[in-house]
Amino acid sequence: MDTWGLLAQGLIAALQVHNLIYALIGVTLGTAVGVLPGIGPALTVALLLPVTYKLDPAGSLIMFAGIYYGGMYGGSTTSILLNTPGESASIVTALEGNKMARKGRGGPALATAAIGSFVAGLIATLGLAFVAPTVVKFALSFGPADYFALMVLAFITVSAAFGDSALRGLTALFIGLGLGLIGIDLQTGQTRLAFGVMDLLDGIEVTTMAVALFAIGETLKTASDRDQVNAEVIAVKGSVWMTIEDWKRSWAAWLRGTFIGFPIGAMPAGGADVASFLSYSAEKSFTKKPEEFGNGAIEGVAGPEAANNASAAGTLVPLLTLGLPTTATAAIMLAGFQQFGLQPGPLLFTNNASLVWALIASLLVANFMLLVLNLPLIGLWVKLLTIPKPWLYAGILTFATLGTLGANGAMSMGVGPVRISFELVLLLAFGVLGYLLRRFGYPIAPVVVGLILGPMAEQQLRRALAISQGDLNILVSSPIAIALYVVAFIALALPLYLRLRGKGAMLGQLATDED
Amino acid sequence: MNKLLLAALVTGALSTPVFAADYTIMAPAAPGGGWDQTARTMQEALQGEGISGNVQVTNVPGAGGTIGLAQFATQENANPDALIVGGYVMVGAILTNMSPVTLDNVTPIARLTGEAVGIVVPAASDIQTIDDLVAKLKEDTGAVAWAGGSAGGVDHITAGLIAKAIGVDPTQVNYIAYSGGGEALAAILGGQVTVGISGISEFASQIQAGELRLLAVSTDTRVDGFDAPTLQEAGVDVAVQNWRMVAAAPGITDEQKAAITADVKAMAESATWQTALETKGWVDTYLDGEAFDAQLDADITATESILKDIGLVQ
Amino acid sequence: MTPGSSSRERRPDGAALVIAVILAGLAAIIFWQTSQMRVPPIQARVGPTVFPYVIATGLALLAVGTAISALRNGFPARSKDDYGPIAWIIGGLVAQILLLSTAGFSIATGVLFAFTAKAFGRGPLWQTIPIGVVFCFVVWFLFAKGLQLSLPAGPLERLLTTGSF
Repeated sequence: MDTWGLLAQGLIAALQVHNLIYALIGVTLGTAVGVLPGIGPALTVALLLPVTYKLDPAGSLIMFAGIYYGGMYGGSTTSILLNTPGESASIVTALEGNKMARKGRGGPALATAAIGSFVAGLIATLGLAFVAPTVVKFALSFGPADYFALMVLAFITVSAAFGDSALRGLTALFIGLGLGLIGIDLQTGQTRLAFGVMDLLDGIEVTTMAVALFAIGETLKTASDRDQVNAEVIAVKGSVWMTIEDWKRSWAAWLRGTFIGFPIGAMPAGGADVASFLSYSAEKSFTKKPEEFGNGAIEGVAGPEAANNASAAGTLVPLLTLGLPTTATAAIMLAGFQQFGLQPGPLLFTNNASLVWALIASLLVANFMLLVLNLPLIGLWVKLLTIPKPWLYAGILTFATLGTLGANGAMSMGVGPVRISFELVLLLAFGVLGYLLRRFGYPIAPVVVGLILGPMAEQQLRRALAISQGDLNILVSSPIAIALYVVAFIALALPLYLRLRGKGAMLGQLATDED
Repeated sequence: MNKLLLAALVTGALSTPVFAADYTIMAPAAPGGGWDQTARTMQEALQGEGISGNVQVTNVPGAGGTIGLAQFATQENANPDALIVGGYVMVGAILTNMSPVTLDNVTPIARLTGEAVGIVVPAASDIQTIDDLVAKLKEDTGAVAWAGGSAGGVDHITAGLIAKAIGVDPTQVNYIAYSGGGEALAAILGGQVTVGISGISEFASQIQAGELRLLAVSTDTRVDGFDAPTLQEAGVDVAVQNWRMVAAAPGITDEQKAAITADVKAMAESATWQTALETKGWVDTYLDGEAFDAQLDADITATESILKDIGLVQ
Repeated sequence: MTPGSSSRERRPDGAALVIAVILAGLAAIIFWQTSQMRVPPIQARVGPTVFPYVIATGLALLAVGTAISALRNGFPARSKDDYGPIAWIIGGLVAQILLLSTAGFSIATGVLFAFTAKAFGRGPLWQTIPIGVVFCFVVWFLFAKGLQLSLPAGPLERLLTTGSF
């Protein structure tokens, strides 16, 4: 069957009443949590994962798709009205969007972000539907050595290529890799670095780690930072609607953002933040009114928001077809699949075809729902921004611990007569780690990516060498692997060259504080 | 929208009737997996048939079920309401993880379901029958790369037993572990490995599509719907099945054990359970009492010896 | 990051040196633990110890790099952090961990809720703890009863759902 046919079938599944309800709950929760200041998509998805535990796989993944897209939408609202972007991909949106809001043009800024996200989401989701089957065909011929090369590339792009310090990026990555060693080795059943603790035998749970680093770490950092105590919410004044002039200036920016964002997300190279920065630069050079940039240029909201969303859809290409998460959000999505015993990868498309296509179709549905929900309900979301910080962060910690307890919160340890949950102890420990990483300017995403990709890379390498019976040549014996190593080398060498040429500032801007 | 959601959740919550707690079933695995589904299907059947008023399922995932098992054995001592779901995978995991708690620390009640392990090759492979595979193994054991589930699991054990049965060195078996048969599938279909070995349901759709050739099944009887001999018919003296069971707490009285066994038997014979087996494609291999104890002992002994032969347990 | 006042000074960054020591310590722990492993004979090729050694070596090199960067003041300037609120939040998490099994989800998490609010300047505790407990009970009810999530129940939950402790 061709892609249109499969997509149509998926749409039929996605449009069933119960699936529509799941999608609606997903986008609503996703937007509501995503709007909360300080909460980016990665945390939104991690916090809401427990809500989906008891649903059937299809319903759960559909709700998840809604949460993912909803979280992306919600984030832009925060950036525009509060100037505290919940994630680095929204930093650029805050740059121009917040300026627009201060000038009383918050309505059009929110509208161009919402419509731009919709346009980008629509095109990029269709892109996903058409690119994915091709990648799948290609990926079936991937051997363990090729996967290993792919992961080496992902490690380099996530940690060293972008961000203001390769040293700190690599350190974050290696902390993640080191934590990934903990637990039973799949190939031999041997226990590594578990220190006799039963709960460590299965390794460190990605969701626990992500919730700790993002939720607890962020809460500690915000609480400790006196300067960050009171950011001001800007009321939406004047017309919410975009003028004809706004439309004229926005539409091309949306499309450019989409075509910048989707390929960047789809390649195992950097996340939405890179895409949004590139789109911002592009808009700055295309605009007829350069003087408005920095003072609230609508293109500077429209382009990056579109790029941001297109890249989020693009990230699903390597995730679904190769099982390769390239952002922290994608890593948590992977955990969401694995809770149902579903292993994303080329075979997902043959073994669970109806589920995959229903998921892709629900992304389209969620996208429409968000447009319909967001424009009229913007006032409601803005109210969420005014939740006082004490209650907001108290609530975040309540849900962070709830999710961890619900997933694996068994009271497995004893301190004297008191039974305690080891998983919560880990949550606390990693929360402190998250705070320290933020405090000393380390990026967070490489830790999560290292934790999840490290064990995968190790297994693939050892499988490759077991198949070749120890012959190291297998690692460079396929053209795919060689090509991937070449790209990895460029990703490592190019930023180094740029830094040496004094262009490091631009790369520094791409610093990944969060996903 | 939030109000709607809230209303839906509250209605859902209120429609759960409040009974006095009866059985609590621990699934020593994450929600969604095989053991979790077994526990939840038991919950459904026990409640639906009125055998037990209110059944709770708890999940304690990790390390082939040994984390849950350890917690169950220490915390539920002599509690006649506590049950745990487990299976053959646990037997291997207890040995490889050197778990301080074994199945001797609980009271096994009954085997519920079972599944055959299938041995497959890609359609393009020059291996046509199990005899061809045996010949290749005898020629160069290490050159045959097996792909299956995690190390020390039932797939690995079966591969080791085959090597032992045909007289080649089990330590030379080139076994490549994947986190499950599904993940191994890509490597098998792509021809990266020589042969695949895992639960037959993992391979079913590819076998039916003709992309994989089923050489043999591991059980002592053929499996309905698959045209392949058993290993014993093919001249390899190995019979293994990947079973799932239910056990009760340690330290319960014989009367309590008899009462639980009666409840589980009633559940296993119920229409709800039988329908669930059919929809989930599980095979009913119910066995209780002394016959089950004997079977369990035999499996543990065989597993321990083969894991030592493979070199995973010293 | 807001620029701190000490960013111009050319003296070694003490905290960054501590980070370097911690990284070196992690490397040492991985080396030591891995050397204690017994490797099964079949995994003579690339066994379960190779990756730990590679990662430990990487961490050791990064520790050296961090130390050099600390001596050269290569770290971004840091704002002065306030440790009082951090202590409240960590205290809340510890209290929750210790209370959960006996007091149940609502009371334990209610305490965490109130301590976190306190960290952000909302008090007093005798007011915020009851608010937290009520909020957490509602959350517990929705997730434990509505979504069947297994969350620890204590006297409060049992009293309110079954009418007895």
